[in-house]
Amino acid sequence: MRQYVLKRLLLVVPTLLLISIIVFTLNHMLPGDVVVLMFEEKAYAKDLDTLRAKLGLDRPLYIQYFSWIGQVTGGDLGESLWTKRPVLEEITRRLPVSLKLGAMAITVALCIALPIGVLSAIRQDTLKDYAARSAAIVGLSVPPFWKATLVIVLPSIWFGWAPPLQFTPFSENPWQHLSQFILPAIILGIAPGASIMRLTRALMLEVLRQDYIRTAWSKGMREPRVVLKHAFKNAIIPVITIVGIQVAEIASGTVIMETIFGLPGMGRFLVDAIFQRDYPVVQGVILLTSLITVVINLLVDLTYAQLDPRIRYQ
Amino acid sequence: MNTPPARPQKAQGIRRRELLKAGVTAGVTLSTGLLQAPAALWGAEVGQPKRGGILRVWGSDPPHFDPHLILNAKTHTALSFVHSTLVRHKVGPEIQPGTFSVEPHLAERWEALDDTTYVFYLRQGVKWHNKPPVNGRELVAEDVKFTFDRFLTEPGNAARYVLESVDRVEVVDRYTVKFLLKEPYVWLVDVLANPIMWIVAPEVVQKFGDLKKSESAIGTGPFLLERYEPNVKTVFKRNPDYFLPGLPWVDGVEWLVVEDASAALAMYRSGQLDCGPAPWWSVRQEDLESVRKTHPHLMYQDFLSTVSHAIYMRTDQAPFNDVRVRRAISHAVDRQAIIDAVFLKGELTPAVSRGLSEWSPRIDELGEGARYYQHDPKEARRLLAEAGVPKGFKTQMFTTAGTGAGRQITDAAQLAQRSLKEVGIEAELKIQEYGAYMATTWAGKYDGMAFGPVSNAWEPDSVLYGLYAPDQPRNSGHVNDPKITAMLKEQRRTQDREARKKIIFDLQRYIAEQQYYVYLYCLGITGSWQPYVKNYGPNTTYNYGGRSAALWLDR
Repeated sequence: MRQYVLKRLLLVVPTLLLISIIVFTLNHMLPGDVVVLMFEEKAYAKDLDTLRAKLGLDRPLYIQYFSWIGQVTGGDLGESLWTKRPVLEEITRRLPVSLKLGAMAITVALCIALPIGVLSAIRQDTLKDYAARSAAIVGLSVPPFWKATLVIVLPSIWFGWAPPLQFTPFSENPWQHLSQFILPAIILGIAPGASIMRLTRALMLEVLRQDYIRTAWSKGMREPRVVLKHAFKNAIIPVITIVGIQVAEIASGTVIMETIFGLPGMGRFLVDAIFQRDYPVVQGVILLTSLITVVINLLVDLTYAQLDPRIRYQ
Repeated sequence: MNTPPARPQKAQGIRRRELLKAGVTAGVTLSTGLLQAPAALWGAEVGQPKRGGILRVWGSDPPHFDPHLILNAKTHTALSFVHSTLVRHKVGPEIQPGTFSVEPHLAERWEALDDTTYVFYLRQGVKWHNKPPVNGRELVAEDVKFTFDRFLTEPGNAARYVLESVDRVEVVDRYTVKFLLKEPYVWLVDVLANPIMWIVAPEVVQKFGDLKKSESAIGTGPFLLERYEPNVKTVFKRNPDYFLPGLPWVDGVEWLVVEDASAALAMYRSGQLDCGPAPWWSVRQEDLESVRKTHPHLMYQDFLSTVSHAIYMRTDQAPFNDVRVRRAISHAVDRQAIIDAVFLKGELTPAVSRGLSEWSPRIDELGEGARYYQHDPKEARRLLAEAGVPKGFKTQMFTTAGTGAGRQITDAAQLAQRSLKEVGIEAELKIQEYGAYMATTWAGKYDGMAFGPVSNAWEPDSVLYGLYAPDQPRNSGHVNDPKITAMLKEQRRTQDREARKKIIFDLQRYIAEQQYYVYLYCLGITGSWQPYVKNYGPNTTYNYGGRSAALWLDR
């Protein structure tokens, strides 16, 4: 087990290195560099060159890469080309917001998906099952940005009321701080919840038809014990894999939710940086997001053994 | 054609007398075509000023805070709360949007000693914000000299071209500065009123190295920057030592970052914002009808944008170097149809936007050039045949959705593309990401045509000179017409305002004939604010700070 974890952790290094090369190269290949954007429309050629030199962007790309990666290995993600603030500091400020939103969304997704998925399977082809499946299709089909827009716009038209759309820091008002995540987390969690629910149902149906389940029934075990202890535990492993993948999807969904609900998270920060060609910020954020995704997937893999003792890591 | 009403109006039921009055007003307005001055001062109806309250308004997130390293409106609008200029455009409800009269500000008066020497006499007793390193010391002439020396020499200052005729700035005494010009430039005072010409303190630049950080936003303006929360808001508090007596009336301003238009509108509808939820504190035209219906008690005022939209092209390359081809393009495009279908409100415009009413002739005042504004596909085809391309030609048309008008620009471009196809011009639409567009198309590095907003100005010189003088980097159309260049230089030397206006109108008539840029329209804007916001008048300058200092809240 320990050896497996070590091996996986070692694999993180080349993965991140590869990501860093791809991100760095693609970022610099985008037309319209940061200097041109800083000058907007009224630039003079000699000014562009001066500023490019000042920012170190006149050096060959590979030198810029090595200089940046050298900084990164020393724990420094560089400075924003626009604001001159350290990228790490900016990320530290925003990461908790995105993590909170993502964690709450995945909690919502699981709270919706697992009970309904199980219920739908054990009550197959009943009204409850049809209702749950239809709701899942609706949840998957309606894009989150539209749901968010409706949630905000309709009450403002009907009742002249809108949820608070300005960010309140935790230190200022803890309850208001947490409550502003509830709506976006629910909206963000619905679509992954629906897909996890469908998967849970399908897997539960498969497991419930296994011989050992039939044996359990024939032994006279009560339904909750058969369903939760014997069926659910065995059905859940592929679901956990999907949850790991959904985390990355939720991370991309946070961009829209953060914009609509005014949450100053990583998503908006990254989008702004891409538009401004703020290379160190884009590189830093993507590198960190990749790291988080890799770690989450590692955790997912490690969870398998906890759920199924037959799984051994080599 | 939509013509803005002269003063704010309540969107409540209209009485017959009011309807008649509105009809007469509209008739007069349409017959003259000029924006009318308000019949009465809106400010006179608002009662006694009240002190206190926090103004919560739609704002934006500045990329950084250094006024000399950026042209972005997001920075300059935020800086308008903390900084002041030597002279400024008048603010307040009595100012008709689209008029930019200059009044004393940090300078209490000025005089032109000759065509190339201007002297500004500073107001005495103006204090910098009471923050280190300036700690409320008095503003002096050295500060002004420092500011403009930095403005003219800072390599990152993309606005430097605006003052390219300034040779140097000299300190005469503690409260007097002299601007010495290389050549006559009659627009100097107007340009110094532009809300990008903020006076900064030398100690602050020395302390921070530059002015990019929010902590360095220290000025002499009506508000102090109390807190900056990236992507959330900038909080300003009242400057108790502001040099205009009594102002500001409000205790502070929360300049909120609300990126999503629907969320911003919901905030305005639910009373979480005190003024309109879009740029210029407006309500977007597509939302206007619905908001007026559900919120008739809000204040609304129509005005025109000072930005002209156009189709521009490589006039140094065939086939666009043939005036007949450019005129054919102008005839081909149905401008009013684009306004009606996409923007809902707007007006056909010559080179200087109709929003800058004093310097912009109506289309029917353009003489011979006015005919090219008529949608006439038949005439377009005739002109193309005359130019030797009877079957039209294939080209490309670049545009971007990244500007303020966003997606609407690409919608409009598609309508223009369809109109062009009707006369045989097949323009392949190339939609670029904003950064790519600015780096290539806007910088003149493109082939064929481009579509989008081309200029914003509070005086006509910078837009005309920038787009038509051959040595200017903003000359995206690669125009080099000696007659235009001569007229541009002549107006810069003409002191007499009426004579100058004549040259500028003549210039726009000639430009309309030549169609180097096929000007389309300027957009209609509807400013809006809560009824308890008093003594406020919208306008299209970045000086939100000045307007916020003049208003008060009567909740």
